Amino acid sequence: MKQFIWLFFICICTLPNVLSKEDVLSEKIQQLTDWSLKKPIIRLNSERFKHYVKTAPRNYSMIIMLTALSPSRSCGICKQAQDEFQIVAQSYRYSSAFTNKLFFAMVDFDDGQDVFQYLKLNSAPVFIHFPPKMKPKKNDFMDISRSGFSAEAQAKWIHDRADVHIHVFRPPNYSGFLLVVLLVTMIGGLLYIKRNSLEFLYNPVVWGMFIILAILICISGQIWNSIRGSPFLHRNPQTGQIGLFSGSSGYQFIAETYVVFALYILFHINEFFFRKIKYINFLFYLP
Amino acid sequence: MTTVNDNSSEYITNSSSSSSAGLKSLITVIILICVCISGFISRLFSIIRFESVIHEFDPWFNYRSTVYMTDNGFYNFLNWFDDLAWYPLGRIVGGTVFPGLMVTSGAIHWFFHMINIPIHIREICVFLAPIFSGLTALATYLLTKELWSKRAGLFAAAFIAIAPGYSSRSVAGSYDNEAIAIFALIFTYYLWIRSIKTGSIFWSSCTALSYFYMVSAWGGYVFIINLIPVHVGFLLLLGRYSLRLYVSYSIFYILGLILSMQIPFVGFQPVRTSEHMIAAGIFILLQAYTFFDYLYNKLRYVRNIETIFFNLSVIISIIVFAIVVLLTYTGYIAPWSGRFYSLWDTSYAAKHIPIIISVSEHQPTTWTSFFFDLHLLICLYPVGAWFCVKDLNDERVFILLYAVFASYFAGVMIRLMLTLTPCVCILAAIALSKTLDYYADAESSEMVSNFDDSVSICDETENDENNQDLDNNAENIDETDDDDQNFLTSNIKIIVVTCIAMMLLLFIVHCTWITATAYSSPSIVLVSYNSDGTRAIVDDYREAYYWLRQNTPEKARIMSWWDYGYQIAGMSNRTVLVDNNTWNNSHIALVGKAMASNETEAYKIMTMLDVDYILVIFGGVIGFSGDDINKFLWMVRIAEGEHPKDIKEKNYFNENKEYRVDKSGSPILFNCLMYKLCYYRFGELYTDSAQPSGFDRTRSVEIGHKNFDLEHVEEAYTSANWIVRIYRVKKLSNRFQAKDALEKSTSSLSEESFEKNHRKGVILNKPHVKKGTKKSIHRT
Repeated sequence: MKQFIWLFFICICTLPNVLSKEDVLSEKIQQLTDWSLKKPIIRLNSERFKHYVKTAPRNYSMIIMLTALSPSRSCGICKQAQDEFQIVAQSYRYSSAFTNKLFFAMVDFDDGQDVFQYLKLNSAPVFIHFPPKMKPKKNDFMDISRSGFSAEAQAKWIHDRADVHIHVFRPPNYSGFLLVVLLVTMIGGLLYIKRNSLEFLYNPVVWGMFIILAILICISGQIWNSIRGSPFLHRNPQTGQIGLFSGSSGYQFIAETYVVFALYILFHINEFFFRKIKYINFLFYLP
Repeated sequence: MTTVNDNSSEYITNSSSSSSAGLKSLITVIILICVCISGFISRLFSIIRFESVIHEFDPWFNYRSTVYMTDNGFYNFLNWFDDLAWYPLGRIVGGTVFPGLMVTSGAIHWFFHMINIPIHIREICVFLAPIFSGLTALATYLLTKELWSKRAGLFAAAFIAIAPGYSSRSVAGSYDNEAIAIFALIFTYYLWIRSIKTGSIFWSSCTALSYFYMVSAWGGYVFIINLIPVHVGFLLLLGRYSLRLYVSYSIFYILGLILSMQIPFVGFQPVRTSEHMIAAGIFILLQAYTFFDYLYNKLRYVRNIETIFFNLSVIISIIVFAIVVLLTYTGYIAPWSGRFYSLWDTSYAAKHIPIIISVSEHQPTTWTSFFFDLHLLICLYPVGAWFCVKDLNDERVFILLYAVFASYFAGVMIRLMLTLTPCVCILAAIALSKTLDYYADAESSEMVSNFDDSVSICDETENDENNQDLDNNAENIDETDDDDQNFLTSNIKIIVVTCIAMMLLLFIVHCTWITATAYSSPSIVLVSYNSDGTRAIVDDYREAYYWLRQNTPEKARIMSWWDYGYQIAGMSNRTVLVDNNTWNNSHIALVGKAMASNETEAYKIMTMLDVDYILVIFGGVIGFSGDDINKFLWMVRIAEGEHPKDIKEKNYFNENKEYRVDKSGSPILFNCLMYKLCYYRFGELYTDSAQPSGFDRTRSVEIGHKNFDLEHVEEAYTSANWIVRIYRVKKLSNRFQAKDALEKSTSSLSEESFEKNHRKGVILNKPHVKKGTKKSIHRT
């Protein structure tokens, strides 16, 4: 009988312990789910980070972006990274893959400097995946210098690390569409106002200019620039010398193509004024 | 040719006094013959330096098909199922190939044999491209003559004959579709211009026939079937509609549609895919427009009917567009294919089809490549376009559209420089001819003699050109304003003409140099220069392929990267897993995965695919940069695209995210099959006296992983300069291989004892492996 009482006593003692542990976990998950339903990215500060990420009972993974968004930090790419991260989180939030096993969060440098110290980081933005129950390993730091931080790259990386497939859904970019509409209405309006003198539309010179421009853009390698996105100039880090032309035939700088563009135009003008040379000639013989 | 030149110079002196039409055409014919001959000769560098051999990769497949066709007849060729390619899938060649090239050379072969000249089919294949370049020059002459004048035509013919942009794809031995397709392209355009000028049914039927030839020759026919409708559309928009246009386009479209569907590879595409929908839409629009035009002429007395007709035609075009969009959505019309779509959305291929961007000729074009391929012409090209704009008519609208579209496509993809080149030649010729009209006219006989002296150093072709210009100008002076001539003194004229002649001379030197150095290497025979300047021929490819042909069983299956598939099938006559017809991405990815995995994993894939031999290309000994180690990252990328769980690109980079084979390289790279096959026993070799053993001369590093053994494969053959290395895949059990021809009698005692000990296990293993093979075949 005594043993039974002991056993009972032990049970009584351990039960709340276990219960409280489970309670903490479910409470944490509940809280995180609530937050992420409200906003796809949970904003963490030092205390919250400690509570929800660092401390032990945790069976969910976290994707955390560490960044410095305040204007005083003057981090240019942080804003872009934030936008891309927002897209991924949003896509996850409204996709069928949304569970309480993966949460997106961010820590701003001004909110949680301890976090940066704890993770030994001195740059931003950094994307880290916290796997359930473990500390992040080397591969859990996303390599943005290599893959970039576009939403697609992030989704791929998350798929690799956390095994959650996120189909990135970008909100359609209306700004370009609006610009086109604006331009069309402007041109249309201009034409409408000037409808009595539309002769310039029948002027082959104007159209010729457009055609020549299109051809010159193509043959001076501007398409290559837009596909490859090369730097504008090359500056030698040692001497500070500016290189306008790239040495290899498979590469070019943007400035270089402008030079070539201008040269072709010069050639063109030259040819164009070949015809007018007779007047120059005439001037020479005038005296 | 110099004698011809002298003759024409003599004629010049006569022509200024008595210029008969006969003499003019005689000189024209002589010049055109000279152009054809110089075009032909400038493409023979590869034959003279190496030998009469088929070049590169794709031509080997074309050659093999041609041989098959001449041996077995055309109908057997159409039904040909090629079991040497894409093991175990095979390939239906007849239905997946443009037969124009094979039929053309087959017909020439048949003709020669009919008149009892027993020429080998290989010679015809080698010389087909240079011969067709002569025909292209003639077609360009005809087209430019229609667009501008005969003088410009002669210039254009001379330019296209030697321009590197075209000779890059048509040197002797590059037996590829483009060799005949450019001729068909230009000739179709000529006939089209001719038919809208005359409006005759005869010319538009000829256009359709020529278009049919183009469809049978090259997938680039899509360019024609889009450009001609766009031309018609623009003519409608510019208010240049005429009955001639209606007749020629309607006839061309209907006949062309029916004819193009006769090619098995094209089939129902012209009515089922988006690429062809512009043509269909314009056709319907043109019918409607003609109908309304007819009504309008009948009902002219009705007021305000013009605006009604205008609105009706706008509504009809919108309806046509809407129907096409609707049909695309409902699936009756296939959307743009990937390769075509990547021309418009340039980032498309990078995201979805890594195999397209892995090919170097699908890269965008830098301005240097434009200048490299077209030199002086690229500068004159916009000028010619300007002259066409200034003096617009129906056919010049066409060449302008051609110029804009071709420039864009050439900018996106370096390979399409080929379609731009004829257009550049034509417009540059127009610019030059127009300029010379002003400066090289025969005002005084004194100037003619001066001019002749100044350009006599010129190349024969150009010299002829200039003389021809003089000659024609003597009669066509009424084309230009007489008043202008007074201000141009003969001195200035001479200076300008001399400058132009010098530039043309430089152009010729450049073209010859480029064709000789850059575009005339067969790439299956390499050349290296010793320190004293003597040439050494590196003939490893053919050596190794011939070894395969002689020393392996007939049904042996060779695994290699897809680049070499056509060559192995063509030269060794052995079965390959993947080849240059990259129709099955997952199969290629499987081979890439095998190359990128470690030996054990690779062995599983190889037994699954029944591989007997592996062939790798390795350039580390002689410093050949186009080898498999340099291509390896593409294999990894393509494999990663299909098997992202097993292969990860970043594993093949070292700590600093670099791809290196020296000591700092990644261990996964050191253990993958490709590395091991390339560098097997390379660590024992001294390639450079000043360097340690195992020094890779292509990447200029000492390799990081030297002494290793191969477990599942064994070295079978390595060519003289180690470029081609062939390995035999060991079988699971040696016991049953004793009688097999695959195994040479090299089994040692220890191996035999191994067999005896493990006999039971081996037998049990065998059916298990076969099961795996079958399953995997279904999956792929």
